[in-house]
Amino acid sequence: MASKNNPFCKQRNSLNTKETVTRLILIVFTYSIILAAFGIFGKIIYEGAPVLWQKGWSFFTKKPQTLIVTQVEKSKGVEIPAKNFEGLLANNPNADQWLANVTEFEKPTEFITFDLLTGSRIGQGYLGELESLNPDFYVIYTERDTNALVGFQLHADKKISMIKEDFAALVASDPKILPADVTTRNIELNNYKVTVAAGDYPIGKPAHDALVPTELIFKMRQTFADDEPDKINQTIIPEEQTITVSADLYFTAFDEEERGTLPLKAEEEVPYTQVFHDFLLTGGNHVTTPAALAVFEKYGAQHLHNPQKGAIVINEDITGLKVPKTFWQTLTLSNPGLKTANQSTTINKTPFIRFDITKDAEILLDTEDRESIATANEATGKFITTSEETHSYSGGGVVGPIVGTGLLVIICMMVALFTGIAASIFLNEYARAGTFVKTIRLAMLNLAGVPSIVFGLFGLGLFVILAPCVTSTPKASSTLMVPLVKLGSEPELRMIEQQQIYVAGKSDLSSSELSTVATAEGSRLIYDGWIWLSLQGWGTSILAGGFTLAMMVLPVIITSCEESLRAVPMGFREASLALGATKWQSIRTAVLPYAFPGILTASVLGITRVAGETAPIMFTAAVAEKSELPWEGLKSTGFDKFLDFLQSSAQALPYHIYTVAGRIPQSEYTQPMQYGSVLVFMLIVMSFAAISIWLRVRVRNKIKW
Amino acid sequence: MNQQNSATNDPTAALSGQAVTTAPTEAPDAPMRQDPAHTEHPHAETITEDALGGKTMIHIEDLSFSYDNGKTNTLQNISLDIPEKQVTAFIGPSGCGKSTLIRCLNRMNDLVETSCITNGKIKIMGQDINARDVSPIELRKQVGMVFQKYNPFPKSIYDNVAYGLRIQGIKKKSSLDEAVERSLHGAALWDEVKDRLKDSALGLSGGQQQRLCIARTIAVQPKVILMDEPCSALDPIATAKVEELMLELRKEFTIVIVTHSMQQASRISDRTAFFYLGELIEYGSTTHIFTNPTAKQTEDYISGRFG
Repeated sequence: MASKNNPFCKQRNSLNTKETVTRLILIVFTYSIILAAFGIFGKIIYEGAPVLWQKGWSFFTKKPQTLIVTQVEKSKGVEIPAKNFEGLLANNPNADQWLANVTEFEKPTEFITFDLLTGSRIGQGYLGELESLNPDFYVIYTERDTNALVGFQLHADKKISMIKEDFAALVASDPKILPADVTTRNIELNNYKVTVAAGDYPIGKPAHDALVPTELIFKMRQTFADDEPDKINQTIIPEEQTITVSADLYFTAFDEEERGTLPLKAEEEVPYTQVFHDFLLTGGNHVTTPAALAVFEKYGAQHLHNPQKGAIVINEDITGLKVPKTFWQTLTLSNPGLKTANQSTTINKTPFIRFDITKDAEILLDTEDRESIATANEATGKFITTSEETHSYSGGGVVGPIVGTGLLVIICMMVALFTGIAASIFLNEYARAGTFVKTIRLAMLNLAGVPSIVFGLFGLGLFVILAPCVTSTPKASSTLMVPLVKLGSEPELRMIEQQQIYVAGKSDLSSSELSTVATAEGSRLIYDGWIWLSLQGWGTSILAGGFTLAMMVLPVIITSCEESLRAVPMGFREASLALGATKWQSIRTAVLPYAFPGILTASVLGITRVAGETAPIMFTAAVAEKSELPWEGLKSTGFDKFLDFLQSSAQALPYHIYTVAGRIPQSEYTQPMQYGSVLVFMLIVMSFAAISIWLRVRVRNKIKW
Repeated sequence: MNQQNSATNDPTAALSGQAVTTAPTEAPDAPMRQDPAHTEHPHAETITEDALGGKTMIHIEDLSFSYDNGKTNTLQNISLDIPEKQVTAFIGPSGCGKSTLIRCLNRMNDLVETSCITNGKIKIMGQDINARDVSPIELRKQVGMVFQKYNPFPKSIYDNVAYGLRIQGIKKKSSLDEAVERSLHGAALWDEVKDRLKDSALGLSGGQQQRLCIARTIAVQPKVILMDEPCSALDPIATAKVEELMLELRKEFTIVIVTHSMQQASRISDRTAFFYLGELIEYGSTTHIFTNPTAKQTEDYISGRFG
């Protein structure tokens, strides 16, 4: 036997078996990690890459798009602006199946260019329309004119039956607008006196809404959500009650034929006489007083005025406004107080596409394209839709979330790096070892262990609700207000209206009384001439989110900064000090430059960490839906604009993924976009990691000892 | 460190006869505590000073120093005067306190939080350097230091030499250029590096790097240069160059050097101080110490019987 000659011969015994089994178990566990990693990456790349491939760069450069799935009928000569046609093609890769006869043509549109002069009176809605047509145009008005005449349109002759009260108001305000023949008639109507027995009844939302303003005392077991109009909830009537209601209300809330109405114990008709004044108002444009317009509004007058607040007085000359001719006509007819000059007509040729839809098809359109195609074919009626379904965020586009995440990371890293580097320098170079440093390190360890959702809530409490602001218009809901100096300049009327500022008179109210009065008035902000230090928070904003993330990433930053400071040889400090440098000089010139690669790595690692966090930003910065990038749509100027920018909310990539994947209704249209967004997110985070490695190698090669 | 602490705990053991023949770590265990050498305390050795001439630059008076807030003294009652424009060497076995003393001279020991001077004073140019109104920054501008391990900054050769001037706020290119050239000449390095001033200092050889550190130190024009075992990390050829340089520098600067090499001390120094376990055993002219030492430990040490 060979084994007799071989003293080290292999032996089969239980120890060997144990060894083999142990090795097998270890291998299985190790390989399962690899499998899991492959599974996750593989799935995301497999599902996400086709989406990115199909969408191309537009996936990165577009804001999140909502697609409308439209069923259209076969039709010829459908028109669409050329730029929207591109979007249509991009969203419908299978367009060649139903698209034919694509021809380009130019559609002339007449535009009027004009100057708006000081002292013009213009209705609020018309001003808004002008501003949306001319993006650079923004008037900070300071005055309204409640007496300026206003115009309105009636599409056709209208027979108006006006109740007595309205007619009286009309006569008082603008009798000239009334035609000569006004007939008066009396009509017998009924009110209803109803008795409801105590009890527990199912009630629908319409009945509930109708009953809220009445004297009926009732209590809902469950409140209605806005998006559930058909829901029936239980209500409690605590005692038997009798109220008198109008016929409308009677049929909404008590009609036994309807679902979700209250059963009545007893009812009684209460007849009364209503006086009506009938007259005919001719179609076309009319000019009248604001008070009269407020009356006509109820009888179908078309206008964009705000008769209660009055017309806006333009306080500066504005040149070069450009509007389509159709709007120009409405504008001039509806605003008799408008003063314009230098009108000129230009004809813009917009490139259009005309195409045929060869068969009934399903077309995906984003909201903007849908609107354009509808307007373009409004007159011809060639674009016939049979059904429409909206699928939120099914069109892809992640520029908003990417920008939001980028801004959050930038703010967070600025705060975290300044604080973190300062703290680590102090701890490592200045502080004497002792209880104090130990306490700080303990606090830091604790901070590193706090769950991220707690950071989110902390950020909500501290930065969103409580952080200090210095402002002349503190929030009415401010936690604490401390007056600083009395030199606020009164906000313009437009600001007062838009931001709902309560302007206090000369009364000597305390800050808490001011808050109460302002809240009672329904205002959000307070102005009384003082500059306040107000603990009112920064709102849901990228600033609050950035600070919250900074709090979270601080322990990581401080620990790794300290490590890189410690890695700098003591000899550099000594050499520098021995040459007569002060402590700070030697840190600045002989320590920090050489700790820089480590700090850089720490910060990039911090970036990858904060970029992926969801919990801390969901209360503090991120919103599920925002059509504008944070810097868009800000009307203030200069430094105020920067502050407004910092206080604006944003979308963020991880939160966007959460929204797309979990918070909106799922469909086959939205699902690919989840994978697309996740793939983009992963690419970004991985590229950060790659950058960090590259930077580290590069900088480390440059600086070494 | 252990040896040092245990030794300083029992200073009387320091001079025991046992220590002469055995390793210093065993000194505390020495049974003979009454040694005649102890009674002839060698502070008196400074009498040769006048004979060698030279103005006193550094005056150390009865200095005791502790690294642990005065619990144990690392230096015990040191008194010596270091003359101007001469090379003074501190010799002694490891842990005897010579590096500690040299670091006291430009207050580098301030970096150790628990260190303190428990007794005595140091006067440089007549000024007590631990007085309240003395700024260690200003002191270090006058008392430069070269370290055991050469430690040029990972910058260019030029930037290394200009470093001290730049932190003093000198920005003018011409005066920096001039100072760099002068210092590199002074450190006998100019000819070797004049064509690559912008190259990294770390590309130089060990000896060149140490001379660069010396150039960096003399660039700020100190009065005193402290050298803490400047050649211990260098090969003999580099050492020879640095030694040559020191002999050159002593024309302008007062040099205090800590060295482990007795040959080096004998070659370059004008005066030698021998330390043992935190005490100054003997101080005098180098020739005197090496040819005719008064204390027995000195003789044993320089003849290589211990240490």
